[in-house]
Amino acid sequence: MQQEVVLAMLAKEPSQGYQLRARLDQALGPLGEGINAGQIYVTLGRLEKAGFVAREGAATEEADRKAYVLTSAGQERVTEWLNEVSWPRPDLAEFHLKLVAAAQAGLGDPIAIVDAQRRELLRRLREVQRAAMDEPNGSDAGLLLEGIVLRLQADLRWLEACERTWTDRRRNR
Amino acid sequence: MNRSTETLVRARGLRREYGRGESLIRAVDDVDLDVATGETVAVMGPSGCGKSTLLHLIGGLDRLTGGELWLADRRVDRLSERALAELRCRQIGFVFQAFQLMDELTAQENVELPALLAGQSPRRARRRALELLERVGLEDRARHLPAELSGGQRQRVAIARSLANDPPLVLADEPTGNLDSTATLEVLRLFQALHETGLTLVVVTHDERIAATADRLISMRDGVFVDETRLTGGTGGSLADFVGLRGE
Amino acid sequence: MGRVFLVFRLAARDVRHHRAQALLLVVAIVAATATLTMAFALSGVTDHPYQQTRAATKGPDVVAYMTSPSQATALIHAPGVLVSSGPFPIASASIAVGGRSAGAFVEGRGEAPAAVDQPEVIVGSWVRPGGVVIERTFAQALDASIGDSVTMSGRRFTVVGIAVTAAQAPYPNLCYFTTNTCANFQGAGSRDNGVVWTTEPDARALTSSANPLDDFALNLKLSHPADAQAFANRYSALTGGPGPRHRIETSGGSGPAPGPAGGPNQVGPIVSTWEGVASADALLVQDAQSVLGPGALLLALLAIASVAILVGRRLSEYTRRVGLLKAVGGTPALIATTFMIENVALALMAAGVGLVAGWLVAPLLTDPGAALIGAPGAPTLTAAKAIEVIGVALVVALAATLVPAIRAARTSTVRALADVARPPRRRGALIRVSRRMPVPVLFGLRLVARRPRRALLSTANMAVTVTGIVAVVAFHATTTNKLSGAATSGLISGGLSDPVVNRDLEMLGVITVMLVTLALLNAVFTTWATVLDARRSSAVMRALGARPGQVGLGLVVAQVISALPGTIVGVGLGLALFKAAVKSAGSPPPAFLLVVTVLGTLGVVAGLTTVPAQWGTRQRIADVLADEAA
Repeated sequence: MQQEVVLAMLAKEPSQGYQLRARLDQALGPLGEGINAGQIYVTLGRLEKAGFVAREGAATEEADRKAYVLTSAGQERVTEWLNEVSWPRPDLAEFHLKLVAAAQAGLGDPIAIVDAQRRELLRRLREVQRAAMDEPNGSDAGLLLEGIVLRLQADLRWLEACERTWTDRRRNR
Repeated sequence: MNRSTETLVRARGLRREYGRGESLIRAVDDVDLDVATGETVAVMGPSGCGKSTLLHLIGGLDRLTGGELWLADRRVDRLSERALAELRCRQIGFVFQAFQLMDELTAQENVELPALLAGQSPRRARRRALELLERVGLEDRARHLPAELSGGQRQRVAIARSLANDPPLVLADEPTGNLDSTATLEVLRLFQALHETGLTLVVVTHDERIAATADRLISMRDGVFVDETRLTGGTGGSLADFVGLRGE
Repeated sequence: MGRVFLVFRLAARDVRHHRAQALLLVVAIVAATATLTMAFALSGVTDHPYQQTRAATKGPDVVAYMTSPSQATALIHAPGVLVSSGPFPIASASIAVGGRSAGAFVEGRGEAPAAVDQPEVIVGSWVRPGGVVIERTFAQALDASIGDSVTMSGRRFTVVGIAVTAAQAPYPNLCYFTTNTCANFQGAGSRDNGVVWTTEPDARALTSSANPLDDFALNLKLSHPADAQAFANRYSALTGGPGPRHRIETSGGSGPAPGPAGGPNQVGPIVSTWEGVASADALLVQDAQSVLGPGALLLALLAIASVAILVGRRLSEYTRRVGLLKAVGGTPALIATTFMIENVALALMAAGVGLVAGWLVAPLLTDPGAALIGAPGAPTLTAAKAIEVIGVALVVALAATLVPAIRAARTSTVRALADVARPPRRRGALIRVSRRMPVPVLFGLRLVARRPRRALLSTANMAVTVTGIVAVVAFHATTTNKLSGAATSGLISGGLSDPVVNRDLEMLGVITVMLVTLALLNAVFTTWATVLDARRSSAVMRALGARPGQVGLGLVVAQVISALPGTIVGVGLGLALFKAAVKSAGSPPPAFLLVVTVLGTLGVVAGLTTVPAQWGTRQRIADVLADEAA
């Protein structure tokens, strides 16, 4: 589980571990069934160690009764992450959760996030396309580049769908 | 039109409405647009968003309900049909989604038609047509009828035709709408090449790949512009990173 | 059974969806059948009334004309003779009324009714001293009415009555008899005589030493009217060639010809038969009928052409529906049937309407010469004739729809569904030629090249139309010539009108109007069809930079190019038709009239094209392209 996702889920309000889990479940639907409860606590621990979250509540309470809360460093990291537009690996779930978190926490406009990502991908597409066209027909590089183009195209289509859905949600609120 | 003008197309408050009262439809709803000389602008949006209508308005194929339109500092939205025809003849080239070639004319006869309409001699028109066909890579198909050409070839003929009178502005309406991916690639290359010659191009498309060739991408929905992206100016980070070659 | 029902339902739905075109089809066929009906109605028109007149006036079976009353006795007592009246004296006189003059044969009668041939008085009363009764057609020509004062050979009379008789042919076909037929006069002074009746003393008083009384008429009724011709053969002194009666000097006419021309003084009576008179009656409408026949044919052809255009347009829309039918299991037969049923049903309906219309209009033309009593009402329209007319309508509908129907049925299902409405053929030569022309001609030529069959139809249309117009013009010219030819016979100078000529002109008038109407209709169909066909091409040309004026002019050019050969052929055919119909008397119309006809027709076609052309160029290009793609 990506650290930043957990961080962002805390941005809405301090939560206990099981509450976080519930929220993730809801956002991921059937895909959430694979999440190991333990993984969340592990991530939380790391985040605490890194100073992004802190625990609230009396020291004497059980681990899973204490609420986790974002530190200011954590806040910063969340904001930063929300505005990041890199796409290191095609990870739909992460982007999807980013949108959900942003909407729930009121930290950012999901549509703006989508647009920003789209923009980035389009620029990439342009670059890759040019590179592909410069390649002679049938070269290996050309084949790889064609593959990237197609994936980018697919991702762009999904982003368009995201934009449509989130716009409709906003309109119907 | 003067090629040295900076803004080739300027539109303010463009509107195209159908029907009235209860059933009023605003296909294009108060759109402003500036296109600089030599720029390629892509307009994307879901079907029914009004992008084709917008293009028709700019090209004079349809009449504005409201707003103002300038082409190279000349006000064109109030021109007579005759003046618009002149404009379309020499200043604007149009590429249609359905090609709109004349079925009974060969490729070269199709391509030379605008030149003949502009009053050029048949010989010069024919020479120009062959030049253009060569440019789009179809010189060996000059004598073929559209029925004997593939979709991509037909669209290339249509593109060649749109360039017959060397217009400064080309408007393309879903140029790859009816094409498969190979044909799309052909058209892509062409547009790239045309862009490099300094042509001003406004393309309406739902194909991201075509859109990605543009300098500027405008998103349209329900008759209005909702987003604008400048695609030129590089991206940060290397391609390899982007693709994940160097691993995390 | 289900299939039949399906066919009818499909046909009905199709008609409902294309109301305008169905209506146009109906109009075209109505026009054609109406004319045909009139033609048929006229063909038998005088038989009836003649019989009526004969019955009403106790018409004679034979009339014997003799130089002296003594010859009557033998005839009165001849075997087969039932009843007789006369002999009545006949004086020749000149008659003048209101500035008009002519020659008259004055029959002296008793005031009491005769046993045979008692003319029926239509207006006024029978003869009395000082009064004259004029035969109806003659009275119309003289424009004489009751109470008018007439002068006959210097004596004054008052018109007291207007009557009809079956004993002789009405003015101006007063004619004389060979053994078999009533032959019309030829030559000067032949047509300017009519019949009047006065009292016997008055008639005798008109004769003089210079103008002796040597003409008497004896009316006989036979026990077997069918024997009239045999009787005439037996007793008539004249066995060959017509013998004219006495000539009367009319003002401005040629001088009198003394006695019978070209023959010996009659020794025996000349006998005329009632059949001969009946056929003379028919002369009144003969010319008209010779016009009606070809006229109706032309109209039928035009109707076929209209229908063909209408059907041709619709076929491209029909092809797709045909494909669906086939895809759900319809056979080619079913498809062809559906298509034809629609058109045949419409044709039948139209024929019915046309029949009724023709029936109602015919009376306006079949006033069968004022000479005959006769209900100028519904002329004879027997069931047989009605069936013929309907048959023609059917043939028209079938002729125009058979070929397209068969073709529709034969198109492969896939092609039909893909709605490939026959792709235009390529005419390389025309295209090459057109490149060097100015834009309108370029466009026009290419439009013609795209749809050569449509152009051919245009040409045929134009040929038929111009044929009709030229024939009509030629007839007009001839008729007018007849009139002016009659001037030398003293007719015009006498101020009279020639009822035959009038009738001809009336008939021509009607035919012309119908022809022009149908031709106009046709032209409108054709021009609209051409423009609609060319919609997409026009839009693309405009998108590429052709000016609206150029496109409009191109459409006109296309239309004129299609029409021109037809126009020229039409002139030739029209003249040929005219010659064939008129046989003898016709002289071809002056050349400049023909040129005017050609130019005029082309001008009309060009003008008509501009209407849809304008409409077309007003449309927005984007809309048209979207429409045509749908």
